[in-house]
Amino acid sequence: MQDRITKILKAIADPTRREIFHALVVAATALPITQISGQFDISRQGVTKHLKNLEDAGLVKINTKGRERFCYANTNPLKEINQWLKFYEQFWGDTLDSLSNYLDKNK
Amino acid sequence: MKNVIRKEQVLNHPIDTIWNAITIQEEISTWFINADFKAEVGYKYTFTAPKEQNCPQITGEVKKADPYTLIYTWIVANTNVETVVKWELEKTETGTKLYLEHSGIANYSGDTAVSMFTSFNSGWDNCILGLLEYLKNTVHAR
Repeated sequence: MQDRITKILKAIADPTRREIFHALVVAATALPITQISGQFDISRQGVTKHLKNLEDAGLVKINTKGRERFCYANTNPLKEINQWLKFYEQFWGDTLDSLSNYLDKNK
Repeated sequence: MKNVIRKEQVLNHPIDTIWNAITIQEEISTWFINADFKAEVGYKYTFTAPKEQNCPQITGEVKKADPYTLIYTWIVANTNVETVVKWELEKTETGTKLYLEHSGIANYSGDTAVSMFTSFNSGWDNCILGLLEYLKNTVHAR
C-alpha cells in the first residue's frame, strides 16, 4: 500500500495538477469538471485523470450531482507537509538565537 | 508550494567571528550541537545530540566551505532523506548579515518521505525542542 504522504507529494509534483489544484483553491467552491477542463489546454479526459490523482491524495473531493461531477479542493493533507516546514522554521529560528547568544557572550 | 526555509539575521559581530562559530568543530559543539565537523569539501560530519535526549544523529557531507559560504547535506539518522543546509555571510557596515537556507523537501521521493514522517511521529520534534532547551540553558549558564 502506498503511503498517503507519498501520494500527496507525487500529486503535487506535477505542474498541471498543481495548476488544477490551485484553480480549485482560488475558486473556493465546488466546480463542475466541465468548467475546470475549460480552463486548461488539455482534454477533459486528461483533466479528469489529474483530478482522480488529486482525489486519491485527498487533495480534491469529487461529488456527483445528476450528470455533472463537482470538485472542490481540500488543503488538509498539505498540513502534514507544512509540519516539516514549521518544525524546521522553529528549529532554525531557535538555532540562530543560540548563535546570537553565544556570540554576545564571547564579545 | 514553498519548499525552502529561509532565515535572515543581522548580527553585530565581525564576519570572521561568525564564520568561525559555524565552521569550527569546538565552537559548533558549544552553541549548537556536539559536532564532528571540518569545513572541508567532502568531509562527512556528524552532529550528535546529548545522550539523555535519545535523539537521532544528523550526518551529511560538506559541499562547499569557502568564506563566507558553507553548504552541507543534512540527513537525519534512520532516514534516507537528504536535505541541504546553506549558510551565507555578508559584511555590512555595522556587522554581518547571515542567510540560512534549508531546502530539499520537494526532492523527497516516495519511501524516504515516508520514513521521514514516521520518524517525526515518534517524537523527533519533541526531541529537538528538548535539545534546544538544553542548548539555551547551557549558553545562559556560561
